[in-house]
This record gives sequence, structure tokens and C-alpha cells, in this order.
Amino acid sequence: MTFYFAGIRSFPKLWKSNSYLGLSSSHSYLSLFLKDCYGIRNQEKWFSVKTMSAQNTKAMNLLIAKARCVRKLDEGSNKQVSADSSHMFAAGAAKKRSQMNPSSKTPVLPPVKNIIQLPTKPLNSDEWDKLKEEFKEKANFENWIILQMVKCHSSLDVAKSVLAWVAAKNNGIVGYDLLVKYLYLCVFHKQTSEIIDVYEIMKARYKRLESGAYTLLMRGLIYTDRWREALLLLEDLKKVMIPSKKNYDDCIQGALFHQDVNVAWNLYQELLNHDIVPMLETLKAFFDFGKDMKDDQYSNKLHNILLYLRNNQLYPGESFAHSIKTWFESIPGEQWKGQFTTIQQSGQCLGCGKTIESIHLSSEEYEFLKEKIMRDVIDGGDQYKKTTPQELKRFQNFVKYCPPFDVVVDGLNVAKMFPKARESQVLLNVVSHLAKQNLQVLVLGRKHMLTQNSRWRRVEMEKMQKQASFFFADNISEDDPFLLYATLHSGNHCKFITKDLMRDHRACLPDAKTQRLFFKWQQGHQLAIVSKHPGAKITFQHILSYDTVVQTTGDSWHIPYDDNLVERYSYEVPTKWLCLHRKM
Amino acid sequence: MSVSITFLRPFARVLVPFTLHRKRRVLYSTILQRYMSSKIPAASCPNKENTPPPEELELDRWKITMKFSVQEEDVSTVTSSEDEDPLAATRELVEMWRLLGKEVPEHFSEEELKTLMECVSKSSKRKYLKYLYTKEKMKKARQIKKEVKKAEKEVKKDQLPETIKEDKQQNFLFLRLWDRNMDIAMGWKGAQAMQFGQPLVFDMAYDDHMKPKELQNAVSQLLESEGCNRRNVDPFHIYFCNLKAGGAYYKELVKRYGEKWDKLLLTATEKSHVDLFPKDSIIYLTADSPNVMTTFKHDKIYIVGSFVDKNMQPGTSLAKAKRLKLATECLPLDKYLQWDTGTKNLTLDQMIRILLCLKNTGSWEEALKFVPRRKHAGYLEISQHSQEFLNRMKKSKTFNSFPGGSINRHRKSSLKENI
Repeated sequence: MTFYFAGIRSFPKLWKSNSYLGLSSSHSYLSLFLKDCYGIRNQEKWFSVKTMSAQNTKAMNLLIAKARCVRKLDEGSNKQVSADSSHMFAAGAAKKRSQMNPSSKTPVLPPVKNIIQLPTKPLNSDEWDKLKEEFKEKANFENWIILQMVKCHSSLDVAKSVLAWVAAKNNGIVGYDLLVKYLYLCVFHKQTSEIIDVYEIMKARYKRLESGAYTLLMRGLIYTDRWREALLLLEDLKKVMIPSKKNYDDCIQGALFHQDVNVAWNLYQELLNHDIVPMLETLKAFFDFGKDMKDDQYSNKLHNILLYLRNNQLYPGESFAHSIKTWFESIPGEQWKGQFTTIQQSGQCLGCGKTIESIHLSSEEYEFLKEKIMRDVIDGGDQYKKTTPQELKRFQNFVKYCPPFDVVVDGLNVAKMFPKARESQVLLNVVSHLAKQNLQVLVLGRKHMLTQNSRWRRVEMEKMQKQASFFFADNISEDDPFLLYATLHSGNHCKFITKDLMRDHRACLPDAKTQRLFFKWQQGHQLAIVSKHPGAKITFQHILSYDTVVQTTGDSWHIPYDDNLVERYSYEVPTKWLCLHRKM
Repeated sequence: MSVSITFLRPFARVLVPFTLHRKRRVLYSTILQRYMSSKIPAASCPNKENTPPPEELELDRWKITMKFSVQEEDVSTVTSSEDEDPLAATRELVEMWRLLGKEVPEHFSEEELKTLMECVSKSSKRKYLKYLYTKEKMKKARQIKKEVKKAEKEVKKDQLPETIKEDKQQNFLFLRLWDRNMDIAMGWKGAQAMQFGQPLVFDMAYDDHMKPKELQNAVSQLLESEGCNRRNVDPFHIYFCNLKAGGAYYKELVKRYGEKWDKLLLTATEKSHVDLFPKDSIIYLTADSPNVMTTFKHDKIYIVGSFVDKNMQPGTSLAKAKRLKLATECLPLDKYLQWDTGTKNLTLDQMIRILLCLKNTGSWEEALKFVPRRKHAGYLEISQHSQEFLNRMKKSKTFNSFPGGSINRHRKSSLKENI
């Protein structure tokens, strides 16, 4: 019983490792089959392919690690950017932080049991019958064997022989599920004539298909002469559901492949109208295609795509960045020059020396964010959830009558930084360090900090209270929302100190736009302490002074992009830039 | 453009079979014949391999049969269905998914189809279909079980007449009226509890925090808890407070209880618990509470929020208690159990079982048997208090005479019962 569960639990890991392999074309489709009934799903672990993929992952990880080393060396040689200066939200920073903890375990793979060897060449019906007898699992043999073939991309002939065998037993009829899986193999091996054959069969046999088969057919048809039929399939699919971004991607790629620009743009517009975020591959395809186009309208549309990236804080991948660069450089008569650079801490582009946009919010944005934080994070429809109305009133009065602060400290977060040191001692160190710089400090904490015990000394608390203002929330109230509001209330110059990434509070905000605004503000105002020992000098992680977003000044573009070898978490921003400017 | 072609397609389908129909049928049958007797090697093999071994399956033959066999069927189907109704289209989509082996139901009603169409996102549709699928599967399984039982009964019936004859010769003290007697006895006990029982309040003010599904679950749990209470030796006097007449909760409860609703021996009221009882004797039970419950107090009124939270809204019930300035407590789960997985929020019926057990025995080990076994790894061997006590004993070196082992043995035996 336990073994059974272990198999299932390890499954997502295996699947994840698949995506590293770069089988980008395959893994999105695998999902189609993996959602099969449980009986099939847990046979996964008997297949030898999996071990192979695990090894590959290891190899890949090694490669990544090596690349990271090389990158570090690069940075080391580049004196202007020190290797250690990566800020809290830099791409890959979270990964580094997690790697500093030695406790992270490598995933353990379940033992692999192989029951049936997949045939490598077509078998005849007797051999299939024999193989079926050997197979003693609950699941349907035909289904199972073709699923395995899909997983290790067997050759088409083998799959065909299964179908022929099934058809022979079954009056010449092959089930829909087998047909779809066969189609998947055809699409994977790019066998156009086979795809068209299956397409004909499906069209004749079934009045309407389902999303999986539509997707595969579209995928298969776009590079054939009958690519327009893929558009018809898309229409069919639209009748029952909103097509996925992958469906649109396929159709757009097909249209561009066949030089039908209008169709491609119309599909793109439709995709945006559905509020789907397009795949970066789709956008890249437009840029790739644009190289051969000398058309003002077309280049306007490409500029619109760049603005779309800006507004939605999307970052192109490395190859996409190359496409953008190539396209700009190919515009005749404009003489664009592109280079891959990084940005200095001061916010100047190393390539052209221009200053990148500031991280600070405009005053309207600032007011907007302040109001949203108050309304959605602190109040949130029920003031009692995070605080009480009395406390809120007390806090608002407090903030109103105090001078604007320069630094707001999350007392508990800072105090608990070093598990071995006494909390009040650590907090006192930080507060006095800040107070020495003549900063107006506010420390937020909870009332239990005031009760004398071994962790919180009254003497030290009193010392601190002379150097800074304090606000103590109830023990069951949340202090983070107060921290955010106090910082926002004090104005743009005010910073806050905490190691908390505030993801839960960001999630309380109502829409993606406000969340992005919050994130931008957070990047510009959050100080994190990086000291490793209680006695060490207090140093802060530097704050970004510039905003990492696609931006233009008319005759220059700065486009941050994702390095292929760095895994970036959603709350991090890329560190590499594409700098494009026109020679005057 | 697309319109014209969608118009053309059905026509083409109608036309093609008419023109080629007869010829192909002949062809088809010959192929099929040859195919069925597949031992005859084919003269021209469409396969890319030049010299196939004689017993090789012909790889492309199935395609031809597939295409032709279809067109024969098609003649009948094409004429009937040419509606672009989205409902019908969705039904077909689901049917195709079923053919693909996805977890979708085989049959579903018009109403369920409409609910499916109302689902906003693809994943919600998928979830709903899966729900219908499991529901259908369970129903089928139950039916099969029923039939099996029926068959067994019939077998027994044949043997029954003899036993009845034997029965008639015996003397009995009671008629077989167990169930009714039990009901009546429980009714008496319930009436007594209504008069003198300790109140236990279910706070029903959460109906706007829950989705219909969660509300249904909550009502199921309420039914279960009420049943537990009724069977107990010393039942609580249950209050359903803040139950709005005509609200979602009320409707669902009345629907589930049917005509029994008006005869239930509990107090359902629209009033709040703070109006019915003195504030200082109320204790609101919530897992978010900072205070841990140490003993069950017989003079307090415990409140359980009748709230199933699948949507992760932590602190909702604590906020309610804070608003009314009520005392809060949570169960000492961490103190007695090695917590493993899952939330500390227990279901309503588990809560009432624990409270009933505490009320009758006062022993936490007994009461916490009702915490699902999957959520914890076992009882803590010795609770902290007694551990300290033991340590003190060790220090004073009087430990030898103390029968420490017996405590452990006792715990283990209770564990075994648990399993």
C-alpha cells in the first residue's frame, strides 16, 4: 500500500525533471495523456525511461552549476559589478539563499521495475498476443502499451502495428483514445502524411473532436499545405471552449510560416481579447518574421508588443532577446545597435550610460497603492481579522501625530534574525545603529515584547524606546500591515527593514496591476539585513534604484531578459539587459 | 470564410457517400475479407519497408477500413444533427473526452450540463466533471452492491421457511421493535437535555463565507453531529444560533431533515448566542485561538462555528469572537498528539464527539481518539506535565519504586483500541 502511494507522490518530481530535458514540444502534450485514469498513471514507475530522464536532469543540473560558476567568474572580472551585490529580488537569489541551507535533500527516486520491454520494431499479431498475455496489470493492455510508446517516442511503425493488431481483432475499428495517442506520435515525429491520414479518419468518423485532438491536429497541420484547416479546427474548438494560448501559438506560427501576416495579427488580437497572456514564443515568432518585412505598420505592431511586455512586466527569454536585437538591427535606415549588458547599481546602463527609469512610484501611483494597502491588506472587509478597530484607530492617530519616519523596523522579524542571540539585544543593536545615523526610527512590535523575560530584557527595551518610536500591536494582531502602512504614510524616502518577502500581503491585493505596483514599491523600499553573526557590523542589502522593466526613450530601448541558465522565481527580476540605441 | 466552409462540410459528407458509396462498399468488403484472413501475404504493401516478412501485420490497412466503415455509418447520422447549440456541442465534447479515458461522467442531466457551462474557467469545468464522474461511479458501485445483496437475500429466502417454523415454537419476552424503542428512548433523553442539558451552540453566521459546496458539507457534518449527540448517554442541548429563516443554511437543513426538522429536539434560533447567554460564560472554540483548552468546564457554553473552510480564510472565526469580545479556546492537539499533516480544523462531528467524550469522562486521551488517525503520528508518550513530574522523581531518586512502566503500557493499550 505504501509503495503504491510512494509511486504517485514521486510522480510530479519525475515529471518536472522531464521539462528540464528541453523536450518542450513533448511535455505540454504529455499532460493530455497523463490525466488518464489512475490505473495507467501509476504504472509510470515501471518504466525504464524515467531513470534515464533523472540522469539527464542531474547532467543538466551540473551544467547549470557549471554555467553559474562561469558567470560568477565573469562578474568577478568585471570590477564594476561585484559578485555579491545581487539584491534580494535578483533572479536566482532565492535559489542561492536556499542552497545556503545544507538541509535541502535531493529527491530520491523510487525503485524502477520493468515488466515489459517495449518492442523496437513492428510485431505481428501473434507476438502482440503473446505480449498481452505477459501483461498482468489491471489496465487495458492496448491503452497501456501505446501510452508507454508515447512516453518514449517509439517509432511510428511500431505504433502502427499495434493499431493494425487492434483493428484486426476489432473488425477494423480503432478506438478514439488509441487514435489520439497515435496522432500524438505522428505529430511528435512530424510525419505529415500520417497526420493528414489520421485527420481524414477523424473527420470522417467523428462529428466533433475534443480539445486534445484539436490541439494535436492544429499542431500537425500548420506546416502542411492544408494549414488553413487548422484555423477551421480552431473555430470548431472555440464553439465549446476558449482555446489555449498554445492553440493560438500554433495557429499564429502556421500563419506566419505561410506568410499570412493579417491572419496572424488577427489571431493575436483575438488572443489578447480573451485576456490570455500569450506565450513568449508567439511574440518571438512575430519578431523573427519581421526581419524580412519592411513595413511601418508591422513595426508599429512590434513596438506595441514591447509595450505589452512593459505593461505586464513580462521579460523575454534569452533567445527572444536575440530575436528582438536582430529585428532592431535589421530595420533599414535607422541604424540600431544592440548589446547585452548589465545595469550599474547607480542605475546606469553599462552599454550606453543612459539612466534607467527610477524605481520610485509616481505620486498618483503612490496614493493609489497607499489606499489599496489600507483597504485590502489592513482592513480587508473585516477589521477584526488582522487587528481591531480600536487598535486601528490608535495606530492611525499614532502615525498622524508622529513626524514622518526615515526607517520603519519590523521588530520581531529583526529580533529573531539570530536564533542563538537574545532578541532584545539584537533589536537594540539595530536600533542604535540606525539612531546613530540620525534617522527617525519607528519600531513595530507586539505587546508581549514588553513583558520581562529571558528573551526580552526590560532595560534594553527602555534603552531602545529612548532612541526610537515604538508601536506595539496586540499579540494576536498582525504587525506587517502596520509596517507597510507606516512606511507608505511617511513618504517616498522612508524605508522598511524586514527579511519577510511579504508575499502573503501581496496576495491580498485585488488585481495583478496593484500587485505589480506593490512589488515595484517593495523593491525600492525594502532593506534586508545581511549580517551573518550577531556581533558583526550591520550591513543592508542594497536597494535597487532603477526599475527592471522594458523601457524606451524613443531612440533607445532597454529590455531586461531572462538568462536561460538561471531559474528565476516569480518574485525576482532579471539582472541581464538588452540595450538598443540608434547611432545618431 | 469559415462560415462557408462549415456549411460545405456537411454537404460534402452527404455527397461523397452517395457518389462513391456502392463502389466502396464492394471494395471495403473485399478488403475486409482479405484482412480477416490475414495469413495471405499482400502483394503490394503500402509500408515503407520493401520486403516485409510474410507474417507481418499490414501497417496501413486499418486506416482504409476505418475510413470506409465510417462513411457507411455516417449517412444516417449526418442528416439528423446539424444544430450549433452550445449545450449539445459541450455534451459531445464531454463524450469525446470520455472516449479518451478522461474522468468525465457517462450520463449527466440537462441541469448539470448548464452548471458545467456556467463554470468560469477550464479547470473549474474539469473539476466539476471529475466530481460528476466520481459521483456516477459511486452510484454504480452502490447499485451493484444492492443487486448482489438482493440476490443473496433471495437465496436465503428459500431456506427461511424452516427457520420460521422453529421460531414459532419459542417463547419471547419482547417483540422485535428495537429501532422504534431506541428512537423513543433517545427522544426522552433529548427532551431531558432540552430542559436540563448543557448548551452547545453551533454558530451559523458563516453562510456568506462559504460556497454552495462547502455549505452542503457543513450541513452534512451538522446532521452527523446531531446524530452523535442524540445517541449519547448525556446529550448536549444543541442550539443553532444566527440561523436565518429562509437563508441558505435553513433551506439546506430543512431539505435534508425533511419533516423531521420541526420535531428535532434542539433550539434553532435567529438570535445570536450573545443574546441568549451571558457573555462571560461563553467560550468560542476556534483553532486560531491563542488560548489552549485545559479542561472541559460544565458551567460554560461552548460555541462551535459551523463553517467548512476550503478556501483558506484563516482567522474568520477568531475575528467573529474578537468582534463580540468573547473568550476563545482551541483544543490541546499539540500537547497530546504528535501532529503530522492536515489542518488543526476538525470537522463538526469530530468536535462534538470530542466534547461529548470530555463531558462524560474528562480524559483527553479518550476524547482525542476522534481526531482522524491520518493527521497525527500518535499520542505523545507522556504529557509534559507528567514528564516534569517524572524528572523530579528521578532527581529525588525515588524512581525505583515508581511504576513508570504501567503508564506506558496503559497508553499503548489505548492506542491499540484506537486503531
